[in-house]
Amino acid sequence: MSTSTDGAVCWDPYRPDFWMDPYPVFRRLREEAPLYYNEQYDFYAVSRFADVEACFNNREVFSSARGDVLEYIKSDMDIPGGMFIWEDPPLHTVHRSVLTRVFTPKRMNALEDQIRAYCVRCLDPLVGAGGFDFITDFGAEMPMRVIGMLLGIPEQDQAAIRERVDAALRTEAGKPMEVGQAVYHGEGFEDYIDWRAKNPSDDLMTELLHVEFVDETGTKRKLKREEILVFVNILAGAGNETTTRLIGWTGKILSDNPEQRAILVGNPALIPNAVEELLRYEPPGPSVARYVKSDIEIHGRKVPAGSAMLMLVASANRDHRRYPDGDVFDVRREGPPHITFGRGIHACLGSALARVEGRVAIEELLRRFPHWTVDLDNAKLSSTSTVRGWDNLPAITQHGGARRTSAAAQAVAAPKPEGETWDLVLATPMGPQPMTMTFARNGATFAGAIKGEMGVQDISGKIAGNTLSWALSLTKPVSIKLGFEANVQGDEMTGKVKLGMFGSAGLTGKRVG
Amino acid sequence: MAKITYVEFSGKEHVLDIAPGTSVMQGAINHNVRGIIAECGGACSCATCHVHVDDAWVERLEARSDMEDAMLEAVVELQPNSRLSCQIKVTDALDGLVVRMPAKQV
Repeated sequence: MSTSTDGAVCWDPYRPDFWMDPYPVFRRLREEAPLYYNEQYDFYAVSRFADVEACFNNREVFSSARGDVLEYIKSDMDIPGGMFIWEDPPLHTVHRSVLTRVFTPKRMNALEDQIRAYCVRCLDPLVGAGGFDFITDFGAEMPMRVIGMLLGIPEQDQAAIRERVDAALRTEAGKPMEVGQAVYHGEGFEDYIDWRAKNPSDDLMTELLHVEFVDETGTKRKLKREEILVFVNILAGAGNETTTRLIGWTGKILSDNPEQRAILVGNPALIPNAVEELLRYEPPGPSVARYVKSDIEIHGRKVPAGSAMLMLVASANRDHRRYPDGDVFDVRREGPPHITFGRGIHACLGSALARVEGRVAIEELLRRFPHWTVDLDNAKLSSTSTVRGWDNLPAITQHGGARRTSAAAQAVAAPKPEGETWDLVLATPMGPQPMTMTFARNGATFAGAIKGEMGVQDISGKIAGNTLSWALSLTKPVSIKLGFEANVQGDEMTGKVKLGMFGSAGLTGKRVG
Repeated sequence: MAKITYVEFSGKEHVLDIAPGTSVMQGAINHNVRGIIAECGGACSCATCHVHVDDAWVERLEARSDMEDAMLEAVVELQPNSRLSCQIKVTDALDGLVVRMPAKQV
């Protein structure tokens, strides 16, 4: 039972139907059972932002030493050495700082050009195809190429590695994860490590082979081969599936919110903010678990030592105490940051990489596909004990749809499929005023942004045949409403701007992108 | 207690009494100062608690570690007075310290 109308709120994390839309239950948990206990599976859960954050930051009580997945914590399994995501200090500090050194934000940002090249390679062949699958065609490809490149894994072997690592983290629908399935030690990477040891390059694998650090006994040394194996395995798992899920959610959420998508098409500078909002709205990892080392009181109730605690990150991200209108997706949202990457010593090591991958993926996606509709009848959502997202997410692109069926082609022949950039000049009484306008068409309307001396402002307008009309309100140098009307012929635009009480000015424009 | 002035990017000032031993980052988080994320909670591994230290104070702080230097390399608006606020431990000698938030952390 995922929820009941009359009884107490109940949540079963192994019910697939619950995961289709967990947010109504999360809301009830936050309000009715901020400290929730599930008898059937014997775990506690916190769902409010403040509680989730407090648990992340209290590593004395909430330990990672038995893993961060409910099933592992309950099983008391052995954890391989070097598995820093499942360690407490001081061991964690030693292992994590080695990786922090080779995984700096600067190094991740330096990958931007290569990430973009992988995106282009995925997306270019899809232009004009009528549609594509957000996961198989894009979301599963690019992150794999990036992490494969970082680790120095040859391209032809990357897919096989991804399959193995992802399979280890996948659970069967409706069932807890089988312990043992993910306690792997990096099998499959040995050959690459040995080869890199003999053939050093400038990749992460080489760096791991050579980095020197002071271990928990105070000895300065290099990493052992088995430690590198475990590290590499964590990175391959963490670097693949989470970003794949992020790209899948991007496809779903922007399809559900076309007006938000149009804002991004018109103003790509908002994309970094949109990445944060996507991460808040649908976190690829919706929950994280900890082992409770000593008794602790939460909301007036004792959580005994030895319990398993689940932190509902996805719920915390929508807590109205922290995020007003938390269920609304808003790419312009400002305010406190989400908690998707966790907090504290175990906060996501790859957040900088995820952010640059997310940003570049959306930039390249929107550049080619300003419109799409996801086909949910043929999509598949899966929830493992670690990640939640789409396994398949087919999308129909307006552009491609036009080519695929002739009837549709006639219906949508006129609109230009891609975002447009125009340089405009207003011939005002004060002299010529240059502006740049970017926008995307959507049937009889368009949306975007206009940039000039007055700064950047969002615009939306109407399309009638070859005529575009839109308005712009300025407060500087004087408060004035400008009414634009322009006739488009090819890459040229001519028209008029009504300047309120100041009369009107001529408008000319050239398409530049 | 040391008085620390946090200036948000918007210009909004918070003058707070911070206990010695706390980090400048933790002081901000404890008082809900906007503009510091501190994803890693002070482990010097996320570079999301970047601040600009008032020029009068730069020399009076302990120098940056190698790790802090490495993390700072990628921040937005890197300046000579850039610091990760989790690496500045508050002492009585820092009474009067002024730090400013950059436009954004990520």
